[in-house]
Amino acid sequence: MSGFIQKLSRAQSFVSNPVSAAPFVVLRMVFGLLMFAGTLRFLLLGWVEDHYLAPKFHFHYFGFSWIEPLPALGMYLVHFLLLMASLTFISGYFYRFSAIVLFLTFTYTELIDLTYYLNHYYFVSLACLLFCIAPKPSKSVIWPQFGEIPFWGIGMFKLLLGLVYLYAGLAKINSTWLLDALPLKIWLPAQDKLPIIGSLISHKWTPYFFSWAGMVYDCFIVLFLSWKRTRIWAYFAVIFFHAITGLMFQIGVFPSVMVGATLVFFSPGWHERILQKLKLFYENKLFLNNCINKDLKPKSSSFIPGFLFLFFIFQIVFPWRYFLYPGNIFWTEEGYRFSWRVMLMEKAGTAQFYVKDSKSGREGLVENREFLNAHQEKQMAMQPDMILQFAHFLGKHYAEKGVQNPMVRAEVFVTLNGKPSQLLIDDQIDLMKIEDSWVPKMWINRYEE
Amino acid sequence: MKFLKDFKLAFAFFVFLSISCKEEKTTNPDLFDRTDFLKNMSDGLIKPAYNQLLTESEKLNNLALTFVQNPDSIQLNELQNSWTSAYSTWQKANAFNFGPAGEEGTRKSLLEEIAVFPVNEFKINSIVNGGSFNVNDFNRDARGFLAIEYLIFSSNGKQTSVLNSFSSPAKVAYLKVLTQHVYDRIKVVSDAWNGSFREEFLNNNGTESGSSTSSFYNEFVKSFEALKNFKLGLPLGKRPGQTHVDANLLEARYSGKSLQFLKLHIQNLNLIWNGKPFQSDVDGPGFKEYLDNVEGGKALVISSESQMNNVIKAANEIPVNASLAEQLIKSPAPLENLHTELQKQTRFFKSDMSSVLGIAITYSSGDGD
Repeated sequence: MSGFIQKLSRAQSFVSNPVSAAPFVVLRMVFGLLMFAGTLRFLLLGWVEDHYLAPKFHFHYFGFSWIEPLPALGMYLVHFLLLMASLTFISGYFYRFSAIVLFLTFTYTELIDLTYYLNHYYFVSLACLLFCIAPKPSKSVIWPQFGEIPFWGIGMFKLLLGLVYLYAGLAKINSTWLLDALPLKIWLPAQDKLPIIGSLISHKWTPYFFSWAGMVYDCFIVLFLSWKRTRIWAYFAVIFFHAITGLMFQIGVFPSVMVGATLVFFSPGWHERILQKLKLFYENKLFLNNCINKDLKPKSSSFIPGFLFLFFIFQIVFPWRYFLYPGNIFWTEEGYRFSWRVMLMEKAGTAQFYVKDSKSGREGLVENREFLNAHQEKQMAMQPDMILQFAHFLGKHYAEKGVQNPMVRAEVFVTLNGKPSQLLIDDQIDLMKIEDSWVPKMWINRYEE
Repeated sequence: MKFLKDFKLAFAFFVFLSISCKEEKTTNPDLFDRTDFLKNMSDGLIKPAYNQLLTESEKLNNLALTFVQNPDSIQLNELQNSWTSAYSTWQKANAFNFGPAGEEGTRKSLLEEIAVFPVNEFKINSIVNGGSFNVNDFNRDARGFLAIEYLIFSSNGKQTSVLNSFSSPAKVAYLKVLTQHVYDRIKVVSDAWNGSFREEFLNNNGTESGSSTSSFYNEFVKSFEALKNFKLGLPLGKRPGQTHVDANLLEARYSGKSLQFLKLHIQNLNLIWNGKPFQSDVDGPGFKEYLDNVEGGKALVISSESQMNNVIKAANEIPVNASLAEQLIKSPAPLENLHTELQKQTRFFKSDMSSVLGIAITYSSGDGD
């Protein structure tokens, strides 16, 4: 027992060990810049309107059905706050307050509609959360120019990135990805106009090479980024990998986020040189948080270790919950989200909903686009929990229109990785009688290989 | 320092490689050439459709002008035939609502600008009784082909009542405005395709959102779904909340030729899918050939063709001796059957095809899951 306590206190002193704050400062500035650019892009593309204001119906995250979009002015205000908070976040002014605003506004916008769930948005929310509790750089004798920070202030970001990449890699270790080279075998031929990739498409081995290379990259990249000798080449691979995938797929700011975030693995010396070039020193009032009095003080010191412990336990354990559900995870998607399953399958569905008037027995066909935009319809048609939500919405909607005790069923044909489409769920069951929960959904059909 | 220099050199080399590789062409002849596909679509289907439509709508416009000067039954007959011919040709062009025929700013798609149905009889009646109108306002349900149909066909088949109604100067004026308007709208699109847009269409040869293939595909599917939902579904009363059939919702109900146009629409969607040019016997690359070349595509071609045959068979089984309006009320079973077969075809055209071909449906921060 005393040996364990000794190890624990050694671990505690290790994570509290002061290190140069330069990597943290650069990470904060890069992250803030990405948040600003990403939000600006979102606004300029008109997506506040498309995603939050135009749709008649929003798909809720489980447990978050109380989240609703604000009216137009409110939503634009939220995004304006996001922009402002990213700027102050970059500068270090009101640092902790900015981090909290960033976290709340960004996570709020994400929680409005499940349709737009993306693993990299989840990553951004988590990173914002970590920034909220991160220690502030303090004056240092050893590093007078950039201040010092306890190791965990930087280590927690490295650990989060390590988990993201590792789990993304582990998710690729399955026979479909490695032995069938699916879905890359479907996606790559559509990229025949790209540089380098385009000329390789015609070879049969190309999808296999990319599948294996992707898996190896995800599993080992953080290791190679951590070792000084391999770091620069590993970062070269990071740029290459994310540039290529950014060209091939419509994945928004994800490549930039990863290219920016992985800078945290570079040495403190490297970061110090960057800050030196930009003439950003600890005493510089504009860029390195000195507004100690105005910032919110962090909670008592015992809260943070406990919080971080739970945070990382959750990150390590939660992705494995799919074991608790029967069936093919790509088909049922039970336990699919929040587990870093990135770009792992090609899946699409056609969902036809039928609403029956219990009194007259007359059954009608729903036109999905009357209520959903193209993106919502596409996502809904392949995810059972969204199908269920939409069914309930339809029942409520048509009841208000005069349909007596509506019964709602759905004929949903889904194709997975280019295979002929099959019925995803029981097409006769009345979905109005089913409530969403974490219990396995027995109304999802078995996938026939 | 030297290491950093090496790194910079390597990076520069990589960048150079990327740029130079862009010029390479894939030499594998088995790989499907999307540009050939786009060329066939453009030159074999889209342009011929719009060119023919332009000619027909010009003829319609001219006939309308001569008819109103001296309305008699022979000229009315010619006018009606010309209308039927033009609207039949429209069934070739109604799936191409992108680019110059797409929505832009306040201009809606060509389909919405000249082929809205059902038309609003109340609005049209008030105009022909002397009310004001503006062909650029949002009253698209008082304009277009089907508004013209309302003016020149009588749903009870009595030509004399139509002829008599053209003694009204307001009606004469409106007919001329409508036929001119339809011609003008078509001309804009036809000119664009005969001009620079064709080049633009062929050059934009990726599969991402906004690419020619993606736009073309999305409009093709929309056209198929419109056929099923609006030409059949709504008249059959198949929307939840509809309690009975509604012949008022049929396409082209005043001429009684709904079935003719319905069958043409189905036939043309099939030609497009096959890549069979409208005015040539030589088959070209269509979605069928595209699918044949990709993983999982061959199986989809078989399912798609098989079901499409069922659709065509069902369409041919609909009696031709009674109008759809009558059949809806008295014997809707063959129409229901066609609707069911179209329903079964949906997944093959919609999710299965786009998934297997890797064509983007929407533009948004991807499906990065």
